[in-house]
Formats: sequence, structure tokens, C-alpha cells
Amino acid sequence: MKHLAALIALPLAALAVPAYAVEESPASNNDSATVNVTGNVANLCILGDPSLPNVDVGQMVNTSGAQVGKIATIGNQVVNLPNSFCNFAGTQVGVTTSALLGPAGTPPASFSRAVNYTATASGWAAANAAATSGAAFDGSTPSASGSGGTQNGPKLNTIVVTLSSFTVPENRLLVAGQYNGTVTITLGPVPSQGS
Amino acid sequence: MKQQVILAGLASAALVALAAPAQAATETDSKNFGVQGNVPPLCVGGTVSAGTDTFDLGVLINTTSGLLRTDLSAPSKTLTGSFCSARSTIAVTATPIVAQTFTAAAPAGFSRSVDYTATASGWTPAAASFATASASNPAATQTRDTAFSGPITVGIGSFATTGGNTLRLVADTQYRGTVTITLTAVN
Repeated sequence: MKHLAALIALPLAALAVPAYAVEESPASNNDSATVNVTGNVANLCILGDPSLPNVDVGQMVNTSGAQVGKIATIGNQVVNLPNSFCNFAGTQVGVTTSALLGPAGTPPASFSRAVNYTATASGWAAANAAATSGAAFDGSTPSASGSGGTQNGPKLNTIVVTLSSFTVPENRLLVAGQYNGTVTITLGPVPSQGS
Repeated sequence: MKQQVILAGLASAALVALAAPAQAATETDSKNFGVQGNVPPLCVGGTVSAGTDTFDLGVLINTTSGLLRTDLSAPSKTLTGSFCSARSTIAVTATPIVAQTFTAAAPAGFSRSVDYTATASGWTPAAASFATASASNPAATQTRDTAFSGPITVGIGSFATTGGNTLRLVADTQYRGTVTITLTAVN
């Protein structure tokens, strides 16, 4: 019984307190109280999916004429990354290109197994990001990177990547086969000094 | 009660642990795409350098005996600009040097044809060679396993009168044969 009495008494006491308080503050018909609601938004950069998962430039050499067997003129290739955004200021686009490399192994004299090109990412800051791969004829040192200017505010835009200036080291003949390279686009904060 | 507190604590730790990498991953994002192209197997025979594309042997016979000269020779020809962008074969074929005007069958004791051997060297370790008198020329085709670019030297030699060197050649202002070099890309 003693336990039961205590349980009943507790809610009664709780109700009694506000009733007593109202009696103590009769100054106004209205009262207000402020409840703060807080939250936060993390820094976020998201790149849209490339419009093409793979850019195929097709057959790359001249099959007749004075430049037979050497790289033909390859038109610019464009890949879009739509709805790319950062929700904070101080961001930049980076681009890394990896040369198109053909069959493994050291190519014979007068031949190359590498095709270099320039990748340029525009649509973010005033200065585009660009990188030109600088592979040697044997495919060594195929990668190059570059960064664009700083975007001083949140931004949503399509980042346009253009591949251009396809060249072969020393304008050598190209070994027959399949050639593959990669372009990587990075969107994020400008690296702090010293990092 | 104690157990509940401990469990709640673990759950909080798990949330923190999950939240940290998620934030790090999204502040910087990266995407990549591939770039590809191809180069077909391709062979170019090149061109004959320096001079004409004809082996000019001059007078074929010893003007005293009427028999084929034994000192016949002609400078080699060089094909430049030759290349194959893949594994390849080089093949040489040749036709006998035949009288162009005297087309009838040669009378007894005479011949209207000269056999010889044509070779193409510089492309493969062993030169490709073709003897016009041979029914079979297994060495006429040689294979190279890698792409290659370099000059091909084409020569002719080992002349012999068709039918035997005791036969005399019929008179004709022009005897002609042909040497053909073929480069073929092999997959």
C-alpha cells in the first residue's frame, strides 16, 4: 500500500507545479517562449555521372598517304558531368589524364604504344582545369594532373570535359592493337597551403 | 539498467564511426571515365629508293658463245618506308625472265627463258627467297612476330637458262621478269 500511495502522489505533484506558476505570473494574457532549433550542413561536393562511361575515338591512324600508319586527326571529344555541385565556397576542379596505351612491351624502333591528349574541365571557375598526358613512346609516365581556379561560392553546374590534341611521341608509327586511357575528374575544396 | 546504458553508449559510438567517413567522402568527389581507341594491323610496302624499279641486266648472253653469261649481276634494290604495325609475313615471288617478242616455243637447242633466285632481306632473320626454277619454295615466306619498320633489300642472282645452261637464248630486244614482295599483317 505504501508503494501505491507514492505512485499516485508523484503525478499529482507534477501537475501542481505549473498551476502554481501561473498563479505567480499573472502579468499578461499572452506568453511566449523560444525554443532553439539547430542543425548543420556538411561541406559537400558531388559530381554528376559522366555522360559517357567510355569515350571511343575509334581507329586512330592514317591508312594511306604520306602519314600512313601515323596518328590521324582525331576530333575533340566531349563528356558532360551534369548537376555537379559544391555547397560551400573555395572549391576547385582537378583533372588527371592517363595516356592511351596500346599492347604491353617495349615497342619496336620507330613505333609507339602511347597516344597523349589534353583533358580540359570547364564550367566551374573562371580558370579551367587542364592536363596533358606526357607518356613516352614506350608508355612510361602516362599520367598528368592539373587544377582549375577557385570557385568562391556554392555552385551547381554541368562540368564539361573536353579531350583534344591527340598526339604520338615523336609522331612515331603506332603499334596495332587496342588502346586504353582514363580521365579522372575531382571536385573538392582547394587544398590548404602546405597540405 | 546498467546494461541499457552500456548498449546506448555503443550505439552512439557506432553512429560516430559511421558518420566520420561519410563526411570525408563527400567533401571531395571524383568520377572517371575511360578513353579508348584502336590501331588496325597495317602494312606498307614502301617504295624503291634511288633509281628505277628495274633490275637492268643488260645483254644476257656471251656474244661469243650465245650462252647465258656467267657473270650476270645487278645491284640490289632497296624498299624504304616499309612497315607493319603488327606481326607480319614477308613473301617474295618471281617470274622467269622471258623473251617478250619471241613468244613461240624455242627451237631445239634454244631457250627463251632465264631462271633466277630473288631474295628479300632485312625484314626477317632469314631472308625470303624464291627460285623461279623450283616447283616448291618453302623459304619464300618468312614470319616476323613483332611490328617492324625498316628497309628491305631485294636482290636477284643464281641465273640459269631454263632447260639447261647448254641451251642458247633466242634473240629478243626485251626479256622481262617480275619480282613481287608482299608484306602481310598476321593476327
